[in-house]
Amino acid sequence: MADTHTARASAHDLELVALAATGGRDAFGELIRRHGSAVRGILRRLGADPASADDIAQDAFLAAYEQIGDFRGEGTFQSWVKRIAARLYAKRWRREARGAALAELMAEFDAPSPPESASADRIDLDEALKALSPVERICVALCYGADLSQAEAAQALNAPLGTVKSHVKRGLDKLRVRMAPGRSLDAPASDVHG
Amino acid sequence: MAERSFEYELSRLFADAPAMPDADLFALRVDERLRRGWTFRRVLIGGLGVVGGVIGGAQLLGGGFVDRFGETTVASGRLLTGKVIDLIEDAVMPQGLPWVNDVIWAAGLLAIVGVVYAVTRVAREF
Repeated sequence: MADTHTARASAHDLELVALAATGGRDAFGELIRRHGSAVRGILRRLGADPASADDIAQDAFLAAYEQIGDFRGEGTFQSWVKRIAARLYAKRWRREARGAALAELMAEFDAPSPPESASADRIDLDEALKALSPVERICVALCYGADLSQAEAAQALNAPLGTVKSHVKRGLDKLRVRMAPGRSLDAPASDVHG
Repeated sequence: MAERSFEYELSRLFADAPAMPDADLFALRVDERLRRGWTFRRVLIGGLGVVGGVIGGAQLLGGGFVDRFGETTVASGRLLTGKVIDLIEDAVMPQGLPWVNDVIWAAGLLAIVGVVYAVTRVAREF
């Protein structure tokens, strides 16, 4: 029993995927243990609160188990599940965004001040992401965190490609300013537009 | 160039996700949901199978399927026997022998006994 557990723990992802494809739930459990944090992490960086991120991550893993026969090993398993999770989040985001006025989403976003403990020289992605508006944040995180192309992100968000491109560009500009070495994190993100 | 370098760094930071302390608990929760999902499916499929079986059985009985199937079987049995007898009469039985149905049945029976005996012998050998 312990040997089986050790064998699973040392197995390559592709071996575990092959076992899971034949109904091996233990093998799939090992994959969840390995990649669960990364999937939950990308959902939080997309903008989900921790509880929603966990719910969506669970749904993503369930969907991955259902579709595991479709995984061809062209990318990593983690990347594959992240893309599933990101699309699920984008779907939920779209639904919630319908309730909010589009103009409100597109409006200039007042970046919150970073916590007192934030070091000026530290490159903290999570802190820097807070400077982005929700729509910029989801566009940047879909493209750079979930490895979707801008066209795929536009499709996931049901938005025009040009709109997504401009949000990504604005988001990157803000992040570049926020994450510049030696620059204080409380510098206003709107500097880049000035 | 700096643009590319920043984008590469950003992708690297996104990929560098910290391990969460409750990773095992999260895995257990997903496994629990998977298990519940499969149990539900089994119950649903089993239930639908029983309902389908009951409806199908009722339709078969109510529509007189059994009677019709019996009649058809008897009729086709008769037809097949007649055709076999005709075939044997025309092709196998030497001309001039007295033709009796019982002879055919007896020969068939003997053939079956012979096959059973041969199979038994072969089974004993191996």
